[in-house]
Amino acid sequence: MKRVSLSVLGGVVGILFFLPLLWVVTNSLRPGSETFANLNPLSWQTFLELRPTLTNYSALLNSAIGRATLNSILVSAATVVIGLAVCATAAFGLAAFQFRGRGLVFGIVVLSFLVPFDAIAIPLSTMFRDWHLTNTFAGLVLPGIGNGMAIFLLRQFFLGIPAELVEAGRLDGLGWFGVFRWIYLPLSKPALIGAGLMLFLFQWQAYVWPLLIGTDAKHILGPVALSNLQGQNFTDYGLVFAGAVVLTVIPLAVIAGFQRYFVQSVSSTGLK
Amino acid sequence: MKQRQGLIALAFLAPALVCLAVLRIVPAISAVVESFYTESLLRGGRVFAGLGNYTDLLSNKDFRQSVGVTLLFTVLVNPIQVAVSFLLAVLFTQRAAGAKLWRTLVILPIATPPAVSAVIWSVIYRPDGLANGVLERLGLPAQPFLTSPSQVLPSLIVLLSWIGVGYWMLFLIAGIQEVPEEVREAALLDGAGPWRRMVSVVLPLVRRPLAFVLVADTVSNLLVFAPVQILTKGGPNGNSNLLMYDVYSRAYAIGDIHVAQAEVVILVALTLAIVAGQFRLLRGDQ
Repeated sequence: MKRVSLSVLGGVVGILFFLPLLWVVTNSLRPGSETFANLNPLSWQTFLELRPTLTNYSALLNSAIGRATLNSILVSAATVVIGLAVCATAAFGLAAFQFRGRGLVFGIVVLSFLVPFDAIAIPLSTMFRDWHLTNTFAGLVLPGIGNGMAIFLLRQFFLGIPAELVEAGRLDGLGWFGVFRWIYLPLSKPALIGAGLMLFLFQWQAYVWPLLIGTDAKHILGPVALSNLQGQNFTDYGLVFAGAVVLTVIPLAVIAGFQRYFVQSVSSTGLK
Repeated sequence: MKQRQGLIALAFLAPALVCLAVLRIVPAISAVVESFYTESLLRGGRVFAGLGNYTDLLSNKDFRQSVGVTLLFTVLVNPIQVAVSFLLAVLFTQRAAGAKLWRTLVILPIATPPAVSAVIWSVIYRPDGLANGVLERLGLPAQPFLTSPSQVLPSLIVLLSWIGVGYWMLFLIAGIQEVPEEVREAALLDGAGPWRRMVSVVLPLVRRPLAFVLVADTVSNLLVFAPVQILTKGGPNGNSNLLMYDVYSRAYAIGDIHVAQAEVVILVALTLAIVAGQFRLLRGDQ
């Protein structure tokens, strides 16, 4: 009896959280002119469409949002690749060597993620303006690549790699870069994926920074383009909802694909 | 040998250190420096202004209202979100049919970028939108939501909780699952009821993740921007003008970059002060 009531309670909560997304998906499958037609009174048709159409999605392909979504993919992918290279080498430098000032360097890493990025986005954007990085992909990617949290996460993992392995590699004639490339990286897949997810989500979810630095048609990112569309007087909500679905499904697929690592990285940041 | 190691380590560290210094630390310092200068209309360029920008801000009615709104919002949103995430974490760690599926549905909004969530909720909160459709179905009168001075903050809190609660719940679920099964069984054998078990057994054992969630949630809520910019523009009458949005509009709509930098400094200082206070409190009652 108790199990059943817990199950029902869980179900009600789950469905309440899901309804807004279901409503968005349903309306992305019907013409924008019908978005508000099924709300008064509310019925099952509000949340289900029996004759779905993909017109909104095909319209999306040629719209500003389609282009912006491609930009988001490009910027996020570049951030993950460059960011992982930068963060993993730094974590290796912190984990594999004993040197004076290591504590200081580690302190800088920690300090850099204590100051929240969004808070310094405005001073940083005035600097980027002076450096002519406004409306460039470099300007959009750069703030994402030095991620203190990702360095921290990778360092913790690297510290667990036994010193004997490194010595054996050195005796076999590996240089330090070889040790990093052929011993550390292959052993650290879970941590690399966790850090990669962190870099990806930071960039995909960003709003303040792309709003400050990249708003021309060539460089605008998905979330900014979507909110621009919403602000117009005659908005096609079918198109808005189709864009919202695409911008949600892409990170969802990435998170789902690496679910194990996502939960791992979440729980390890919370418990340390 | 040690010195050589240091040089090699530095080579590996250099790209990241340059990034962190230029993209995180220099802008923080530059905000502090710029906040002491002002644009000179007569001579062009900037002149030292001392604390002028700060006194300007403190005597500014809109800024003072923004601080008040932000503090009220902080006091409301954080206890609500932490409590709800904890209750959901407890609910979804019970053995019950479908718990995994229901949990996934609560977590789903994590994937939606905050700005996209804000766009979705701007349609939900329209006078003819989904929220009023639901109220009508329940026989309740339609509500103004975002255009009402008293409902605008609660409406933002609902939307932000929809985005965030599932995420924070993940940390607490991880914490609860670390509680050894024997401890829970022992409490059960001692005849502790479900409420008692939660308050005296589970709660103390998840203190660490709970403290982390409270601090991280507070920081993220102090920086809320997208929903304000997309849904309310700080209105009506400044009732949702959270500091982060006030900084943005001061820098770009009003165009007073130096005063905006002073406001950034105040925002960061406020964030660090609240976080330090929370750490103190949580450590103090150990």
